[in-house]
Amino acid sequence: MSTDPLIDRLATDLRPVRRRTPWRDATILLVLGIIEIAWVVSAGLMRPDMPHAMHMPSFWWKTAGLAAVAVISGVTALLSLSPTRSPRRGLRIVGGVAFLMLGAGWLVDALQAGGPAVLWHRLDPAHGLVCARKIVELSLPLALALGLLARRGAPVDSHGTAWAAGIAASAFGALTFALACPFDDPLYLAVWYLSAGGVVTLATRLVLPWLTRW
Amino acid sequence: MTEAEWSHWMAAAQRGDANAYRFVLAEAAVWLKRFFQRRLPPSMIDDAVQDTLLAVHEKRHTFDPAQGFGPWLAAIARHKWIDRLRAENRVDMVPIEDDLAIPDHEEQITTAHALERLLGMLKPAQAEVIRLVKLHGLSIEEAARRTGQSAALVKVNIHRGLGRMNDMVLRGSDVD
Repeated sequence: MSTDPLIDRLATDLRPVRRRTPWRDATILLVLGIIEIAWVVSAGLMRPDMPHAMHMPSFWWKTAGLAAVAVISGVTALLSLSPTRSPRRGLRIVGGVAFLMLGAGWLVDALQAGGPAVLWHRLDPAHGLVCARKIVELSLPLALALGLLARRGAPVDSHGTAWAAGIAASAFGALTFALACPFDDPLYLAVWYLSAGGVVTLATRLVLPWLTRW
Repeated sequence: MTEAEWSHWMAAAQRGDANAYRFVLAEAAVWLKRFFQRRLPPSMIDDAVQDTLLAVHEKRHTFDPAQGFGPWLAAIARHKWIDRLRAENRVDMVPIEDDLAIPDHEEQITTAHALERLLGMLKPAQAEVIRLVKLHGLSIEEAARRTGQSAALVKVNIHRGLGRMNDMVLRGSDVD
């Protein structure tokens, strides 16, 4: 079967295209992120003790760790939308950063250890479940935006891209929520933030490969 | 053609230069044929080449001249090759029983049977749109809505499917 008729038709129907650049995609995500954070701040959802919290190491551990994971995984996801780039290296770095973040958290935690009853009290499931639900909700805009960008992009490792996109969206959702969340206990954060992030990441991993078109 | 020339022509194609695009696709088709000849059985090569050319067309906005056309085309071709291998592994083989009933030899039944067999040898997406448009009389838009394919893809699938059926008949495939 000759390919000439197909080539003729594709060339005849040719329209100019705007070249995809990771910078433009990153700008879209950045603007979306700023809008979401501005909404949290302007809606009065920020934690009331923010001036005090900004002097606590655990607050900076929380926000810096989440920001690092969100940025690295977001960049990994966007770069992997080119067919020549694999997300695997970025995912390994994200794994390392998340591991370091947790390790640092345990170190902070070890300084204020307590018994099982204290641990259960610190977990505070009633508030924890609410936190987890809000993180999932705040992750959705970025997850949707990454899904649309992936649909337009050409990821050859759609599963790897989906992992990176899911981690980026959930880390950003958690980062935004961290501005409103009055809990800085590393144990609380490790359990509830990780649970919410896990749900978003897993959902993105399952859905996003279906959205990518080839 | 050198790597730099290939990238130059593809960049022109991104700006809407049809002649440059035709040139790039023709060269790419030759390269893809060689690529798939080393990796796929002969019966699958033409389909794989056309599939990859369509992917190149759909994703042409992701080409970055700074990274070169060769690696970009090779990445897409490799993705399509793996896709095809996965699809092959998903095909269920149904054993034919010895006491299979023999159909009547009336002309209409024979024709329908032959047609079904030919359609059965096509990719499901191609067979489906040929059935809807050519046998059931649906419009391209209706078939696109029904199958979830874009209108352009419906046209391409019909064209490729009919071409492949034609080839099979001309090659004297054992279609009754």
